[in-house]
Amino acid sequence: MNRAAIIDAGLFAALVAVALVAQAAGEPFVITLATKAAIFALAGVGLNLVLGYGGLVSFGHAAFFGIGGYVAGILASHAMSGAPVATFPFTMQGTNEMLAIWPMAMAVAGLVALAIGALSLRTSGVYFIMVTLAFAQMLYYFAISWPAYGGEDGLSFYVRNTFPGLNTFDPIQFFAIVAVLLGLALGLSALIVRSRFGLALRAARAAPGRAVAVGIRPFGIRLTAFVISGMITGLAGALYADLNRFVSPAMLSWHMSGEIMVFVILGGVGRLAGPLAGAGAYILLEHLLGGVSEYWQALLGLLLLVIVLFAPGGIVGMLNGGRGR
Amino acid sequence: MNGPILEVEGLQKSFGALKATDEVTLDLRPGEIHALIGPNGAGKSTLIKLITGEIAADAGRIRFEGQAIDTVDAAGRARLGLARSFQVSQLVPDFTALENVMLAVQGASGESFRFLRPALADPALTEPAAFHLAHAGLSGRERVAAAALSHGERRRLEIAMALAMRPRAFLLDEPMAGMGADGARDLTALLSDLRTEAPILLVEHDMDAVFALADRVSVLVYGRVIATGSVAEIRADPEVRRSYLGEEA
Repeated sequence: MNRAAIIDAGLFAALVAVALVAQAAGEPFVITLATKAAIFALAGVGLNLVLGYGGLVSFGHAAFFGIGGYVAGILASHAMSGAPVATFPFTMQGTNEMLAIWPMAMAVAGLVALAIGALSLRTSGVYFIMVTLAFAQMLYYFAISWPAYGGEDGLSFYVRNTFPGLNTFDPIQFFAIVAVLLGLALGLSALIVRSRFGLALRAARAAPGRAVAVGIRPFGIRLTAFVISGMITGLAGALYADLNRFVSPAMLSWHMSGEIMVFVILGGVGRLAGPLAGAGAYILLEHLLGGVSEYWQALLGLLLLVIVLFAPGGIVGMLNGGRGR
Repeated sequence: MNGPILEVEGLQKSFGALKATDEVTLDLRPGEIHALIGPNGAGKSTLIKLITGEIAADAGRIRFEGQAIDTVDAAGRARLGLARSFQVSQLVPDFTALENVMLAVQGASGESFRFLRPALADPALTEPAAFHLAHAGLSGRERVAAAALSHGERRRLEIAMALAMRPRAFLLDEPMAGMGADGARDLTALLSDLRTEAPILLVEHDMDAVFALADRVSVLVYGRVIATGSVAEIRADPEVRRSYLGEEA
């Protein structure tokens, strides 16, 4: 194992350790914080694939996060009320099975990513940022004005969705589910980045002219990465809805897109465990500084500035002594 | 096949009022090095970009191995076997030398949608890549990041990547750019051997290299081909001497 892999494994182990120590100490609130960090990290792992490795600054990943959340919320609320989700073209019932909700959330997020990506990836640079932002804001305003599922007030579901053999209401068991999914996403991400596809994706970022000259069309590569990215962030959204048993348009807003971006940049752009380090630091700061002042985000802004100026490799880059990826 | 590999006919490209490529007709035959020379701003790089498909021509036709490729995009032309090198090295800086060449092998194979197997554990990529690196004289430098290579090594890496495309024709845009005398001499020997792999359309400023290597030379001035012929014919051509070679010849 090289140093970068040890840091990645160490950060993941630290997250698990925090949850286990909190369990032993009887601090369920801390477990919930660790769960939240893991879910945010998962959303960031999705974004990191396009932002870190593909060089595509998506400012619209809240769209996928929120869609994942709404899919979970809508299916769960229908399972509760017993009314079918849809009657045409076929009858579709709600469900409170996580194993049914996750693939649905990922599929819907992936389809929306395909549509948004197909249009936005025709632009680049600041236009790409603006187009992704615009699509996410469209979904945000749609959610606000859609009264069937709570509109502006959001949608609550009172019972956490179920997972076979586990009590999802037990904080440590729900954390375990989230941590396993995060570990799988990190592993998948590590494989993708090193694969042929990852080679093409990274080349399309660093030297697009070269990619074309060797016969690789960047558009298809980027669109595929965008869809995978949206699916991972969508899964995180479904878990986040389950954590809070509540989903609201805020999950779709540009603030959320910005936060996911902050996790990635704070932790280290294009570093495997960057989003984990970033989300962990974010939750820690929110918890420590949020008690001191409600303006804690001003301090976060300052910290972000320092990171971007002096440590472009983020937290993971610093741990790695400024060495390469 | 004995006809030309690459035929360019009546190619035109204007940028506003500037005719960068003006009715250019030339061809590239099997086994030859066809050098394209001309003063700065003559439209040599534009012509290369028209042939690779990076920019679209206003008029004219390009045939590659007898087949019209005007509607094929740049990536498609590369996969057909039209391999180009860049005047200013276009390498992936944080990839190693080996990974850069692997990328070219992968591009030529057309199989980029594989997600799980590490590329570095794929002998279908690593073995040809190592072979082409060695061919270009970069043995022992496989694990060095492209950004850490010397200028001369980067020029060689450009060649290795073109070789890895298993090309039917090379388009080499100033492969000697910025090389010292020794480096240029070594590279000249390498290029001379390359023509047995595939013919080369060579854009070059180094006249010693051009006269040593070229089987035929075309002279481009203000986007027009003013002469095509053997090295001896071009050296003797009065118009070429006046408009380009000057006292140098």
